[in-house]
Amino acid sequence: MVNPLFALLIAAAVTVLGFYVFSPERGLFWKWQHTRELSERVLREDALKHIYHAKNASVESLAGALSISTNQVADVIEGLQSLELLEIEVSNFKLTSDGRDYALRIIRAHRLYERYLAEETGYDEVNWHEKAHQLEHELSSEDVEALAQKLGNPTHDPHGDPIPTADGKMVYSEKRTRLANLELDERARIIHLEDEPEAVYAQLVAEGLHIGQEIRLLEATPQRIRFETGAGEHLLAPILAANISVIPFAEEPEKELEVGLPLSDLEIGEEREVLSLSPRIRGAERRRLMDLGILPGTMIEAEMESAGGDPVAYRVRGAVIALRKDQAAMISVSAEA
Amino acid sequence: MTTNTKDSCETCPIHDAAALKKLGVDMSDFDYVVALAGNPNTGKSTVFNALTGLRQHTGNWPGKTVSRAEGGFEYGDHKYKLVDLPGTYSLLATSLDEEVARDFILFGQPDVTIVVVDATRLERNLNLVLQVLEITNRVVVALNLMDEAKRHGIQVDERRLARDLGVPVVPMVARQGEGVPELLQAVGEVANRKTVGKPYRVKYDSPELKKAVTEVTKQIENAYPELPNPQWVALRLLDGDERIAEALRKGELGDLTHGDIEKRSAQLQVIGNQ
Amino acid sequence: MTTENTQSLENILSTAQTLRWEVGIDFHEKVTESIYTDAARIADRATTRPEEKPRFDFDRKLDQILTSRVWGFPLMLALLMIVFWLTISGANVPSSMLATLLLDTIHPLLKGFAATIGMPWWLDGFLFDGVYMATAWVISVMLPPMAIFFPLFTLLEDFGYLPRVAFNLDNMFRKSGAHGKQALSMTMGFGCNAAGVVATRIIDSPRERLIAIITNNFALCNGRWPTQILIASLFIGALVPVQLAGLVSSMAVVGIALLGIFLTFASSKFLSKTWLKGEVSTFSLELPPYRPPRIWQTIYTSLIDRTFIILWRAIIFAIPAGAVLWLSANITIAGTSLAGYLINFLNPFGLLLGLNGVILVAFIVAIPANEIVVPTIMMLTVLVTGANGGEGAGVMFELESGMETMALFEAGGWTLLTAVNLMLFSLIHNPCSTTIYTIYKETGSKKWTWVAALAPVLMGFAVTFVVAQVWRLVEMIL
Ligand SMILES: Nc1nc2c(ncn2[C@@H]2O[C@H](COP(=O)(O)OP(=O)(O)OP(=O)(O)O)[C@@H](O)[C@H]2O)c(=O)[nH]1
Ligand SMILES: [Mg+2]
Ligand SMILES: [Zn+2]
Ligand SMILES: [Zn+2]
Repeated sequence: MVNPLFALLIAAAVTVLGFYVFSPERGLFWKWQHTRELSERVLREDALKHIYHAKNASVESLAGALSISTNQVADVIEGLQSLELLEIEVSNFKLTSDGRDYALRIIRAHRLYERYLAEETGYDEVNWHEKAHQLEHELSSEDVEALAQKLGNPTHDPHGDPIPTADGKMVYSEKRTRLANLELDERARIIHLEDEPEAVYAQLVAEGLHIGQEIRLLEATPQRIRFETGAGEHLLAPILAANISVIPFAEEPEKELEVGLPLSDLEIGEEREVLSLSPRIRGAERRRLMDLGILPGTMIEAEMESAGGDPVAYRVRGAVIALRKDQAAMISVSAEA
Repeated sequence: MTTNTKDSCETCPIHDAAALKKLGVDMSDFDYVVALAGNPNTGKSTVFNALTGLRQHTGNWPGKTVSRAEGGFEYGDHKYKLVDLPGTYSLLATSLDEEVARDFILFGQPDVTIVVVDATRLERNLNLVLQVLEITNRVVVALNLMDEAKRHGIQVDERRLARDLGVPVVPMVARQGEGVPELLQAVGEVANRKTVGKPYRVKYDSPELKKAVTEVTKQIENAYPELPNPQWVALRLLDGDERIAEALRKGELGDLTHGDIEKRSAQLQVIGNQ
Repeated sequence: MTTENTQSLENILSTAQTLRWEVGIDFHEKVTESIYTDAARIADRATTRPEEKPRFDFDRKLDQILTSRVWGFPLMLALLMIVFWLTISGANVPSSMLATLLLDTIHPLLKGFAATIGMPWWLDGFLFDGVYMATAWVISVMLPPMAIFFPLFTLLEDFGYLPRVAFNLDNMFRKSGAHGKQALSMTMGFGCNAAGVVATRIIDSPRERLIAIITNNFALCNGRWPTQILIASLFIGALVPVQLAGLVSSMAVVGIALLGIFLTFASSKFLSKTWLKGEVSTFSLELPPYRPPRIWQTIYTSLIDRTFIILWRAIIFAIPAGAVLWLSANITIAGTSLAGYLINFLNPFGLLLGLNGVILVAFIVAIPANEIVVPTIMMLTVLVTGANGGEGAGVMFELESGMETMALFEAGGWTLLTAVNLMLFSLIHNPCSTTIYTIYKETGSKKWTWVAALAPVLMGFAVTFVVAQVWRLVEMIL
């Protein structure tokens, strides 16, 4: 019989080696796979997207956006030209109509996939863009259409950007404007949060800002922008606030902007009225909660805690519904009984 | 078991439980398809068992039934195929079991849809009833769990409810078989078109909705005057439901029941490929 | 369809599309609000409620106990323990009565009958030693525990306890990156993994549903209890005085079931950190009111529906397995039977895992139905040891008393380690073929089916290997 110590040591060695090679995202195998994916096509597609979005794209801006050298950019540009996706007019890049369609297809894939991540997977929102940035190059157009259909042909991505339609239409609302352009005290609704650069976006998320949120501008100076949402007051540097776009309300809404209490703060036995469901409750879960009858105006009572402490059961319209705490935290209820 | 003392019309079969013949899994030459819809855990499978004599699993938790079950019964001179469905909170389904139910209600074209509702949670249950009424007027509402309602001191005026909803409402205690004869009669009459419902239609009054819904509904009414539920189709189109658009294109809101589970499975694959 | 109609349809669709950009993101919300407003009005007009809200009703009181921080988990464990204990100790007597009847009385009669009509030995062996014995074994070992377990379980289910289990366990599932409703599919899995896999349909999020499907195998299904129960009573119950044997062996079985639950959490966590990465999505579960179960009806239907249907399935698989075993034990090449070759081939690997070749072969034979693991092991042990405890080569049998069975196992070189590892491996190995097929149907993915089928086997190898080596190391040192 094999010496047990010896056998265990060999097994441990094999495990460590296997981990080194196959561990997700860090292992050699995955790294190798990843570099293989960064192909020429990916660079071309990213370049198309950049040129589509940028007002005046240049070799330098491309090099920056794709993190490659200017020499490599030249190769990419050449490739695009030979595919008749790009023309150069007096040192300006101009997409051909094919090029424009191609770019829109990639943007469609990107934004749909972000929407998918937001609604169906529960990836953290800071990671959506990164993920979608990879997948946009891998999804076939059938995949994209299947995804669109599954998601109910959404019109906007989770940051509020319009998703181009399959035939290449994309409408930005005319009423859309920067937060700083609002009048003082004017009320509006957030319709877009720019997801690039990631660090800025993470900061906006950390502030608790989300599209769909009501907002009221309190102060706008070159030093700072101060505003209020249902979650409280916020203070941002103008450069950060520039990443927030809003649509002003057509007419001043009747209801005051009410600062509520998270449902998770209720003590057992307390009953309150639901004010709103945070825009962070998305997709299927939002539909589910609404189908269960948790809507603005509904009375809701904390009924009991589970043995594990976390889900808490609430009485809603005669039924007892268990919700997790982080979920209940995103439902705002009236502060007063 | 209750015996019914109400007068039955001359043409109706004598309406007691004796006129029911449970056919079990025999569904040959059926005349009508009847679907059992409702919120989870309201007693759909219990009603199914009472009518077909089968033993579909029941259990006191939402989500016991996750796939379609079929059985047969004979009542009057007609044979019926009865379809037990998973419970669903709404027709805007979120999970696979709910999708199974939704697809059958929408696209299985049942002759009668029985919506089993929980009398103690009427408000929540009516959410689904109203959605079903948007699609079809061939609905019978089975007001189940009347014994529990009574125990909690809740009284439900089924006549008032029937008048408001515009379709027959039958109070039941399915576990004891109470209300089964009345349910059968109501189902028979709706199937034979002796009763034609005038279903309640939800009013989409909020300013944002009203304009869009009215406009699209009007256009649909003009283009498809024979469509029974233009408002619902309008809502679905506004919600971006590609399958409804597709069904319209094909000229009928036909049978799209098949292939859905595969679609959902495909989605699991997408996830897996990340 | 006329072109005119097509025209107007495209018009409608484009109007709708344009309006969608305008209506914006909360369309859905507005629709639901409208419906609920009307539903509330209609419901309100039709119902009269009692003036006073009954504050202290029975449901509420019971829930406060069953889901309390202090009593919730202990009560859950106690219930589990009681159910298993009733099952194990209650099944003992009827099991041995059935065995006496089917194996000791009817089998000799059949053999005698075969002899009187002069049946050829191979047909007699094939039919009565192969097919009949396999079936008889499965019936006598499986019927009594199932006939006790299922009604008990259904009573709890009808009462409304299951959603409370999900409610209590959700916190742990959340920490493992899984969905609380996985508790429900897991409990269904205690009955049958294939049913458990289908039950995952109630989970909204595809990611979490996949986790629930893959890990359902760790819910100890009824096909595996006979193995657990038998081995636990023979080897573990034997370690303590006779009076305590029943209790200790049911504790061992519950221990294995709990280990299964622990592995469910652990592997869910692993999956949600790696291939099925993602944050936990949300969870919403309606807790129904408690309902007094209808006891007789429950017993009747759970007997008819669950017990007999599952038993039938087991028999269907046991018949061909019995036949194949008998044949492979009786067809010889160069003096060694087919089964013998396979056993010798797998034996070194089996020993490395603290098992042996016989056990590994038995698990391969039992892929269609886990129920037949133990009879296969016994039959093959007779074959390799040449011990004549039973009826001869290729005969599935149960020995009359535990002592004889023990003697047989000891002749096969078994130790306490073999028994423990057999129990572990029976918990952690591939799902049965029906479950694998169900997984394929539910996921529609070959890849995930492979993962669900192979990952547990590898885990089983790893666990038994480590246990065996550490065990031996400790033995060496002591
Ligand atoms: N007290 C009482 N209980 C009932 C009645 N009808 C059904 N039940 C019980 O309610 C529970 C749910 O019944 P099911 O028939 O399984 O409900 P279902 O609607 O099929 O549930 P899902 O399949 O989960 O959607 C079971 O425990 C039944 O015994 C009734 O009229 N009165
Ligand atoms: Mg059911
Ligand atoms: Zn992005
Ligand atoms: Zn975006």
